[in-house]
Amino acid sequence: MRELSYAEAIREALRQEMQRDERVFIIGEDVGVYGGAFGVTLGLIEEFGEERVIDTPISELTIAGAITGAALVGMRPVGEIMFMDFITLASEQLVNQAAKIRFMFGGKEKVPFVLRTPAGSGTGAAAQHSQSLENWFVHIPGLKVVMPSTPYDAKGLLIASIRDDNPVIFVEHKLLYKVKGPVPEEPYTIPLGTAEVKREGRDLTIIATSIMVQRALQAAEQLAEEGIEVEVVDPRTLKPLDKETIIRSVIKTGRVLIVHEACKTGGFGGELAAVIAESEAFDYLDAPIVRLAGRDIPIPYNRTLEYHAVPQVENIVEAARRLAEGRV
Amino acid sequence: MTLSPERKRELLCQMYTIRAFEEKAEELYAMGKVHGTMHLSIGMEASAVGSIAALRPDDLILSTHRGHGHCIAKGADLNKMMAEFMGKETGYCRGRGGSMHIADVESGNLGANGVVAGGIPIAVGVGLGLKMQKRDQIILCFFGDGAANTGAFHESLNMAAIWSLPVVYVCENNQYAMSLSVRKAFAIERISDRAAAYGIPGVTVDGNDVMAVYEAVKKAVDRARAGGGPTLVENVTYRWRGHSKSDVNRYRTREEIEAWKKKCPIKRFRARLIEEGILTEEEADRIRDEAYAAVDAAVAFAEASPEPSLDTIEEGVYA
Amino acid sequence: MATPVIMPKLEMAQETATVIEWLKKEGEYVEKGEPLLVVETDKVTVEIESPASGILAGVRVGPGDVVPVTQIIAYILQPGEELPEGARVEPAPPPPPPSLAPSAAPPPPPPSPAPSAAPPPPPPSPAPSAAPPPPHAGAPPATPVALRLAEAYGVDLRTVVGTGPGGQITRADVEAALARREERPAAPPPPERVRATPAARRIARERGVDLRAVRGTGPRGRVQAADVLAFAAAPSAAPAPAPEVIPLAGMRRTIAERMTASYQTAPHITFTVRVDMEAFESARARLNEEAEATGGPRVSVTALLVKAVAWALRRHPWLNSTLQGEEIHLLPEVNVGVAVALDEGLIVPVIRQADRKGIAEIAAEVSDLVARAREGRLTPADVAGGTFTLSNLGPFGIEQFTAIINPPQAAILAVGAARREPVVNEAGEIVVRPVMRMTLSADHRIVDGAQAARFLVDLKEVLETPILLLW
Repeated sequence: MRELSYAEAIREALRQEMQRDERVFIIGEDVGVYGGAFGVTLGLIEEFGEERVIDTPISELTIAGAITGAALVGMRPVGEIMFMDFITLASEQLVNQAAKIRFMFGGKEKVPFVLRTPAGSGTGAAAQHSQSLENWFVHIPGLKVVMPSTPYDAKGLLIASIRDDNPVIFVEHKLLYKVKGPVPEEPYTIPLGTAEVKREGRDLTIIATSIMVQRALQAAEQLAEEGIEVEVVDPRTLKPLDKETIIRSVIKTGRVLIVHEACKTGGFGGELAAVIAESEAFDYLDAPIVRLAGRDIPIPYNRTLEYHAVPQVENIVEAARRLAEGRV
Repeated sequence: MTLSPERKRELLCQMYTIRAFEEKAEELYAMGKVHGTMHLSIGMEASAVGSIAALRPDDLILSTHRGHGHCIAKGADLNKMMAEFMGKETGYCRGRGGSMHIADVESGNLGANGVVAGGIPIAVGVGLGLKMQKRDQIILCFFGDGAANTGAFHESLNMAAIWSLPVVYVCENNQYAMSLSVRKAFAIERISDRAAAYGIPGVTVDGNDVMAVYEAVKKAVDRARAGGGPTLVENVTYRWRGHSKSDVNRYRTREEIEAWKKKCPIKRFRARLIEEGILTEEEADRIRDEAYAAVDAAVAFAEASPEPSLDTIEEGVYA
Repeated sequence: MATPVIMPKLEMAQETATVIEWLKKEGEYVEKGEPLLVVETDKVTVEIESPASGILAGVRVGPGDVVPVTQIIAYILQPGEELPEGARVEPAPPPPPPSLAPSAAPPPPPPSPAPSAAPPPPPPSPAPSAAPPPPHAGAPPATPVALRLAEAYGVDLRTVVGTGPGGQITRADVEAALARREERPAAPPPPERVRATPAARRIARERGVDLRAVRGTGPRGRVQAADVLAFAAAPSAAPAPAPEVIPLAGMRRTIAERMTASYQTAPHITFTVRVDMEAFESARARLNEEAEATGGPRVSVTALLVKAVAWALRRHPWLNSTLQGEEIHLLPEVNVGVAVALDEGLIVPVIRQADRKGIAEIAAEVSDLVARAREGRLTPADVAGGTFTLSNLGPFGIEQFTAIINPPQAAILAVGAARREPVVNEAGEIVVRPVMRMTLSADHRIVDGAQAARFLVDLKEVLETPILLLW
């Protein structure tokens, strides 16, 4: 199978959906002529024209409002917030409007849109351009939150998100854009709310999101040489969460390491840990649930500090080893 | 542009219905029958009725927290409105929305909004969607003087302007954003002057003269429908009651309220219609009484309606 | 039709409003919308307008009245109309309070009536009368049944909430207090006390393995799944030695709780004096000759000590007191408790009004009580109402020790054995005398050093000069 980069896979998903359904359009800052701040939408304005690939002024709040309003009258917009850090500006429309319209109005209206946004650190962009804020939106009823970790997942999940009738926050990772992987040429969907066991193992389960999936898989390779067999589970959709797959894995191994980039305190790991502890997997836990996550600091500018602000492969290896050896 | 006598009688009836509804809502609240709070538009009937009179039935509106009048003028079923008010299952929103969040999609009311200026960016999206689908409907977005100072107002009017979207922005300037007077909140005299900043037309009218409102909004609607882009219409009016049920009017005087009551839009329009020979006093009274009776009937319907069942509490979050 | 004027609800959370003044009088004509009266809510003063035009009538509230919202306060009548039949119309049922904090779960039930902070101030000390004093001086009154139950189970009535008339403690209240104490069955400690992972527990459960016998290799000795599996695989291995476990229950538990409470609550000050016991012993010997001759009860050291202690307490009422909340109650009777050692702990039967009894009576009581204590036949009345405690470990050979005050008393006297010791007399010579050391522990909230000293000095004196008991 041919390989595409994560960015190319997303672009292909957009193109194929826009070809299939003329209600789908793209809107955001510098998505048209510029091709997207990370090049994801390159070439689309040439193919679909500026009516369907719309460049906006710097108005995050109204970008969010615009996709809400357009969705209300039958369109299926794909908006973009250039850096997840700026989703703060759009929050009013996402949280008070898009997430709540269906419920507040008695289940009559629907707001089908996707809001794509690159998150994460590692590019030296520092504190205000490096955050991972997905957990804020997991907390809001009415929204769905998706975090693909591979090109294959990105294309399938994006197509599924576009076809979903709810507002979906689609969180990409800047460092993943160039990562390549096999991607089928035809359109395909990965159902939202399905996790994937990316690697099977017996000794412990690592639950990882976004770029941490890659790092966990690398760690698993290293640990295999030491005789420790790691199972890596990628939730793919944070909300709705595929609890069954996660619980099944924990029952199998009895030891869990949760890895995510976002700051530990108040991060998605807490939610996962509670889900596991409340489930029947509890009786199979042979060690405390461990979270490895971003330090509770803004992302620093200095390269070394930035590197050590979030979990890296060696951190995952060490944490997993301690857990597997019963030293936690 | 001129409305038929029949149509004018309809408008008077709408205005009386709004007045009756608001007064009844107030009464129900004082009797402890309504949960939460409400934002009454008594005194602002001409702004709602005149603006919506300029729309086609299939045009869309976005409304505000003070939106009962908009909803009624757009053709809402009073029973369902009153039931929603009282939190009943038979209400427009199955009791989940209440006063501030009533939506009547069939009539083209895409919903009232509890966040000031919440609808302004949504109107951009609606206009964009309508234009992209080449539908010749327009979206009329109501908001108040308070909303005109939000960031959303600025971003949205700009975006609607640069893309020539079929939006009519109607600012119901009732002189106060909760307790803050427009004299203190603005360094300009007329809110419609801001339209120039976005390169769109703006006009200020006497919001208590239903025909003046109609004429101004009609021009804006026609312009939007013809692809001429958005307009900002400012209806200068006044609300007789406080902002909400917790407002005890510390920020304005009784004299000011009385002075505005004399400019009552219903009294003025009624007098004008009688003067034009379109109505007699008796006919006008009959229209009024029918409006009040319809509201009473709606209350009976609502009171007899069931509460939502607890089993359904989680419905309607996701599609 | 008469239009009711109701007190309107003006704010989201409002339940009442206060009438300030009426602007219109009964019988006056008013227009719809005219202000009728001025009321005050939490936030502000507001005018209420008339709901209709007509005559104001049936005014039923006046300035200063606090009126619930939606209640009818007057009527507007049309000319010729009467007030409604029995204008005493019931107000509309008050609306349910708006739930201000939306949450899925219903509000938690109110906490069950647990004994709360300070009990109500106790009634003044009863005048000395034939009726026995309250068992826990200063506790709210209790029914006789409740008293017996409380004494039998060591329930401190000051911690029991009385639900009877006037706060009287009933049997049900004491039973409830007992239930809350969760008497644990004499069973081995549940396996939950062992540090073990959920997986280890599950495997242990499934295989019938006693977790306490498994050695844990995890951090802090945690038992992990592998440990249980290893254990189960080698059943012939001797189980790790485990301590003998006795649950803290019954008398042991009561003593543990009371002594802890006493020690932590009352600041203990202790004083020791040495007493020359020669005169005491010769007096006792003479009394016992009398006892033998008359067939009376033998006078033990303890009995004579009780007599002496009671004599001294009569002269030092602060040592015969109790602290009730913020009040010190000088108790009217001197009831000396005598600590008796049992296999399972100790118990303190009481010689009531010891200051008024002759030595023969005291001796008889002491013998009887000690015997019955050792046989487990004491009744609640036997142990009720003590105001001071005497603990004599002399028979055990203890020279000196410090006792913990028996709450709610003010002090306790710990008496050691009398031994022949070298002593320096007034002439500066070393002589051998029978010396006994007694140690007073007193509650410093009530008793100061000087008071304690004076008491002890007096007690020492009367022990060394028993004839003073006649004074």
